[in-house]
Amino acid sequence: MIREILAAFTGLSTTLTSMLDKPVTIQYPEEKRPVRPRFRGRHILHRYENGLEKCIGCALCAAACPADAIFVEAAENTDAERYSPGERYASTYQINLLRCIYCGYCEDACPTEAITLGLSYEVSFAGRDKAVYTKDMLLEPAGPQGKSTPQQTPAGVYTRSVPVMENPAD
Amino acid sequence: MNQLATKYKDEISRIMAKYPPEYRRSAVMPLLYLAQREMGYLTDEAMQEIAEITEMGVTEVASIVGFYTLFHDQPGGKYRMQVCTDLPCALRGADRFLEELCQNLGIQPGETTPDGLLQIEEVKCLAACHRAPMYQVQSPEGLTFYEHQTVESALEVIAGLRASEQGKGGQA
Amino acid sequence: MVTIYIDGKPYQVDAGQNLLHICLSMGINLPYFCWHPAMGSVGACRQCAVKQFRDENDTRGRLVMACMTPAVEGLRISVQDPQAVEFRASIIEWLMENHPHDCPVCDEGGECHLQDMTVMTGHTYRHYRWKKRTFRNQNLGPFINHEMNRCIQCYRCVRFYRGFAGGRDFDAFSNHNTVYFGRKTDGVLESEFSGNLVEVCPTGVFTDKTFRKHYTRKWDLQTAPSVCVNCSLGCNTTPGERYGQLRRIRNRYNFNVNGYFLCDRGRYGYEFVNSDRRIRQARLRRNREAAFESVAPDEGLQRIKEIVKKSGRTIGIGSPRASLESNFALRTLVGPEHFFSGATVKDHELVTEAIKILRDIPSSMASLHEVETSDAALVLGEDVNNVAPMAAYALRQSVRCKPQAISQKLKISDWDDTAAREAVQDQKGPLYLATIADTRLDDMATRTFHASPQEIARLGFAVAHQISPTAPQPENLDSAALELSKMIAQDLKDAESPVVVSGCSLEEKSILYAAANVVQALRSIGKPARLFLTLPESNSLGLELLEPGSLNQAFAIAREDNVEAAIILENDLYRRSNPALLEAFFKSIPSVIVLDSLDNPTAQKADVLLPAATFAESDGTLVNNESRAQRYFQVFVPQDDIKESWVWLRAIGDALGQEEPGARKTFDGLIADMVKELPFLAPVQEISPASGFRIAGAKIPRQPHRYSGRTSMHANVSVHEPQPPQDPDSPLSFSMEGFLAEPPIEQPPASLIPEFWAPGWNSIQSLNKFQEEVSGPLIGGDPGKRIILPPDPEQAAYFDEIPEPFASRAGELLLAPLYAIYGSEELSIHTPGEAQLTPPLRLEINPRDAQQFNLTGETVLQVSVDSQVFELPLHISASIPEGTAGMICGLPEMPYVALPAWGKVTPKPVNSSTENPG
Repeated sequence: MIREILAAFTGLSTTLTSMLDKPVTIQYPEEKRPVRPRFRGRHILHRYENGLEKCIGCALCAAACPADAIFVEAAENTDAERYSPGERYASTYQINLLRCIYCGYCEDACPTEAITLGLSYEVSFAGRDKAVYTKDMLLEPAGPQGKSTPQQTPAGVYTRSVPVMENPAD
Repeated sequence: MNQLATKYKDEISRIMAKYPPEYRRSAVMPLLYLAQREMGYLTDEAMQEIAEITEMGVTEVASIVGFYTLFHDQPGGKYRMQVCTDLPCALRGADRFLEELCQNLGIQPGETTPDGLLQIEEVKCLAACHRAPMYQVQSPEGLTFYEHQTVESALEVIAGLRASEQGKGGQA
Repeated sequence: MVTIYIDGKPYQVDAGQNLLHICLSMGINLPYFCWHPAMGSVGACRQCAVKQFRDENDTRGRLVMACMTPAVEGLRISVQDPQAVEFRASIIEWLMENHPHDCPVCDEGGECHLQDMTVMTGHTYRHYRWKKRTFRNQNLGPFINHEMNRCIQCYRCVRFYRGFAGGRDFDAFSNHNTVYFGRKTDGVLESEFSGNLVEVCPTGVFTDKTFRKHYTRKWDLQTAPSVCVNCSLGCNTTPGERYGQLRRIRNRYNFNVNGYFLCDRGRYGYEFVNSDRRIRQARLRRNREAAFESVAPDEGLQRIKEIVKKSGRTIGIGSPRASLESNFALRTLVGPEHFFSGATVKDHELVTEAIKILRDIPSSMASLHEVETSDAALVLGEDVNNVAPMAAYALRQSVRCKPQAISQKLKISDWDDTAAREAVQDQKGPLYLATIADTRLDDMATRTFHASPQEIARLGFAVAHQISPTAPQPENLDSAALELSKMIAQDLKDAESPVVVSGCSLEEKSILYAAANVVQALRSIGKPARLFLTLPESNSLGLELLEPGSLNQAFAIAREDNVEAAIILENDLYRRSNPALLEAFFKSIPSVIVLDSLDNPTAQKADVLLPAATFAESDGTLVNNESRAQRYFQVFVPQDDIKESWVWLRAIGDALGQEEPGARKTFDGLIADMVKELPFLAPVQEISPASGFRIAGAKIPRQPHRYSGRTSMHANVSVHEPQPPQDPDSPLSFSMEGFLAEPPIEQPPASLIPEFWAPGWNSIQSLNKFQEEVSGPLIGGDPGKRIILPPDPEQAAYFDEIPEPFASRAGELLLAPLYAIYGSEELSIHTPGEAQLTPPLRLEINPRDAQQFNLTGETVLQVSVDSQVFELPLHISASIPEGTAGMICGLPEMPYVALPAWGKVTPKPVNSSTENPG
C-alpha cells in the first residue's frame, strides 16, 4: 500500500523535474533545427568562384537517378557566351522533387561536384507543379568574386570540362 | 613549284633509274633525303613535288616524313642532337642526362639554341642500349653516334661543333 | 569443321578461322581492339591473348593472340587461364596510360568499346600518374569531330579509311608514343565513307559532329529499326530521337545489304526531319490569290470533303520517296486508273523497264553483299559514288576478291589482313567503268571508258556479243571500243561470279538492255552472272510495282477531262517536270491537295496542305533496287498535327464516306488489303511480325532500360506524367518498359531490334551477340525479302534495241546528267553540312569543245534546251567526252530539265552598260 503511494510520488517527481528542464521542442519555423553535415536535402547546383557553373551537362546524374527524376539537356558553350568550362553546359536542368528519393546517387555520379544534396529540408509545395525545380531554382547565386552566367571569356582558357584531378596517392 | 625537279634534274633521274618504272613510289626515301639536304627540312612544297614525282598522295609522303625521326617537317637547328630516352637508356640515366643537358643549354627538349646551331630532340631507340646515355648528331654532313656520354662530354661535343662552325665562318 | 577445346569444352568450328572470330561467335567474351569483323586481323593491339596448350597433358601452355591463330583439329586454348587474364589486364592498362579521364564529357561515353573492354578485363585502378601526351586536334569538316588525345593507336581508322574506303587524305603520322591519325593539314575528309570512322574507332577520337550539335547520351535515345531514304539501296539504319528531335543515325547491320557501314549522305542526311521548313500544321487557302492560313486538321479534312464531293474525278500522284503503304492508300483512294507515278516521265519508263528485266531474265539481282564478293565487275553508265555510294564501297571490295587466289596459294587466311595485302600488293581484280566522266572509283578500275550514254550502251552490247555470238552486235563500233569489249568479255568469262552494275542515272534505256544482255550472255555460257541496277530513289521500285500511269498522262487527263482535284503525295513535282508544264497543270486543276513534310514549290501550289510524317515519324515499307521490301518503324511521335500519309489518306477516305475495304483502318489491315489486291506483294506481309506480336506478353521497348528523365522531362508542361504514346501499328512501344532483350539468350526477331545492345557490350560491337556467326547473318535471318524472284532458268530473248552511234551536232552539245553525292538528292541537302559540300552549279565541257565554241575559263554560259534557258558557269573538264556536256542534276537552285538532251551553248551576252569602255 505504502509502496504504491510512494510510486505515485516517484512518478510525480519525474514530472516536476521535467517541468523545470529546458523544452526540447523548438518554435519552427521561426527557429530551425540544425542538421548533420551529411544530411541529404534539396539539391543545389554549384558555381566556381569566378561564377561559371560547375555543371557541364553530361547527364550522368540523370543516368544514375533511380527515380528517373532528373532531366538534362546540354548545349554548346562558346567563349562569347560561356556558362561552364569546357564544351557543353546544361541548357535545361530540372528535377521532379516529387519523384526524388534523396538517395544522393546524382552527387556520386557528378564528375565536377556540381550537384550536391543541400541541407534544406523544407521541400513542401502548395501544388504539384511547384515541385518541379528548374535550373534557375537549383543554381546557387554567383559569389562575391564571380559574375553570373553567361559570361564572355577569353579564348583558350576554359578548355577543360572536368577540373584537373589530384594524382592518386599511394 | 618544281624547284627540285629543275635544280636536281640529273640526280632525280639517277634515283628514279634505280627502281622499276611501275614502282615509282619506291624512290620516295632517297628523294626526301635529297629535298632535306637542300633545305635542312622538308617544306610542304617539297613534299608535294615528291608526291607528284612518285605518283603518291601528299598525305602518304607526309606520313612517311612523320614516321622517321631523321626527316623533319619543321625548320630547326643546323645540328640536331637526338637523345634516346627509351626504357633501357632511361635505366642507365638517359632521361636525367637529357634534363641536365637542357638545363645547361637553357632550352627545353625539342627547342633550338638561340644561335640556331643546335636542336635537342628526344627520340626512340637508336640501338645502343648498353652504351647509354647516348645520342646521335644529325648534321648536313651526316650522322655521328656518341655513346657512354655525360653532360660534360656532351657539352664538349657541342663546344667542338660551335668551334668548327666558327672556323667555317672564318674561312668563308 | 574441326573440334577445338576452349577451357576444356569441345566446340565444332570452321577449320582455319581465327580464334577470336570463333570465341565471339560462340558467345565467349574476349576483349579486342585492332580486329574488326569487316576488316580482319592484324594482331597489333595484343588485347585478345589466350593461352594455347600443346595437348591435354600440357599445363604450362603459351600465350598466343586469338585473332592471329587459326583453328586446327584438336587445338586446346584457355580464355580463363590466370596468366592470360593478367596479360590482358596489363595490356589494357598500357593502352589506357595516355587515355584521358574525360568519359563524362566524351561523346562516345556509354557506347564506347574501350570502356566495355576496360570493364571486361577488370582494369579498374590506374597506377600511371605522370603527364599524358597531348595533341592538337584537326578540323575534319562538318561531319567528324577529332579528339586525338583519346587515341589508343589501334590503327582501325587508317586501315578502314585507306584500305577499305579508298580515301587518300588521311594517314598515320609520327611514331612510338606520338602516333597521330589525321590529315596532313586541317580540312574536310574527302571520302564519302568518312562517317564510318565514328563507328570504326573503338573510342571517342572520331565522333559525329552533327550529333554533337544536339548531343544526348546513347542511353537517352529512343530508337527503332529504319531504312535509309537517301538512295535506292535501302541501307538499314538506326535513327535516334530525344525530346522530339531526331539526333543522329547509326548503321544497322544487314548481312545482305549494307553490312557494317553506311555512306555519309545516309548517315548525315537526317537533319531535314528537324528542319525549320517542316510543315507542321494543316494549311489551306480560300482561293488561289489568298494567303495560306493554318487550320485544325478537321477543318482541312472538311475542306477536302467540300472539294472532292462535288467533283467527278480526283487524280492521285504518288511518290518514289513515300512508302509502299502510303502509295497504295492513295491508289485505293483515287482508284488504280487515276493513280499516277510521281517520278519523272523518264524515270517512270526506266524503272518500269528495270522491273521487266528483273522479272524476265533468269538471274536474280545481286545484293550489295553479292557485289562485294563478286570477282569481276562491269559498270555501265553509273557514277556509283554519287548515285548509290554504298555500291561504290562494295565494288571497291570486289576488286580484292580475285587476287585472293595469290594469298590463298601462300596459305594465308583471308582474315589475315596485313599478310594478305602484302602478298597481293597492288594487284586488283577486273573492274571496268563505262561512265560519262571521271568517277572517284577510277583508281580501282582496270580500264575506264568515258563516252556518251549511247556509246556506253553500245559498248555493253558489244561485250554481250563478244561473250556469246548469238547476242546482237552493234554496228560500226570503233576499234578502241571493240578492243575494250573483247578485254571485258574475256575477264567476265574468266570470273567465277561476275556482276554487271548499271542503272537509271543516265536516263538511257538501252544501257539497261545492254547490261541485261551481258548477264544473259554470261548465263548462256554457264556463268552465274548477276545484275545490279541502281534506281533513282528510295522507293522507285515500290511505286512502279503499283503500276501507276506516267506523269504526262496525269497532265493530259487534267487538261482534257473534267478533273476536279489532284492529291499529290510527298512529292515536289518541280523536281520532276518542266516548270511550264506544271504551271499549266496546276492552272487546269481547280483544287490541289498536297501531303508533304517539307515546304517546297509544290506545297506552295496547294489549296489544302496536310503535314506528312517523315521516315522517322512513320511506319512503312520501302522496296530497294534489288526489289527487297524492307520495313521501317516509327522512331518517335511527331508534335503538332503531323501524321503519316496513309493515316491522312484514310481520314480523307473516311471524310468522303468511302466504303472501307477490309480492315484498312489499321496498318496491318492496309498491308493485308494490298497483298489481297496485288498478290505478288505477299513478301511485304512476311518481312516483319504484325502489330499483335508479343514476346512473353510484352511489346518491344524503343527506349533502352537506362533511359533517363522519364518522370521529369515533361514535368514543366504538366506534372501529371503523360501516358506513353500508344503504337497500334507495330509490336514496338514508345516506352522503356517491355521485353528486355538479353542476347544471345532471348531477343526479338531481327526486323524488330530497336538497337544492338547486350550486357557488357554497349558499343556497336555488341552486334556479335546478334549474329549467327561474326559478320554472318543475323540470328533468325536478316530483315527484308525480295519481291521479284527470277523466272525459271530458260533463256529469255536478247534485247536488240541498239542505239545509233553518237554523232556530235554542230553548234550543240549533248547535255548528260552528272550527279553529286551531296546536292542531287532532295532531302539530305537540308543537312547544313551536306549543303556546305554541295558542288556549285556549272556546265562541264571538254577542252576541245570549249575551244571550238570559243569559251574560256571564267565564262558564264547560256544553255538553251527546248524552251528552257539556264545560265551556268563554264567548267572545263578533260574527262567529259567531246560533243557532250555534263550538268549536275537535282541541285536546289536548278530548275528541272529532262536529260540527256541537246542544248545550245553560248557565252552569256555581256551587259554593255557594265563594260568598261576604257
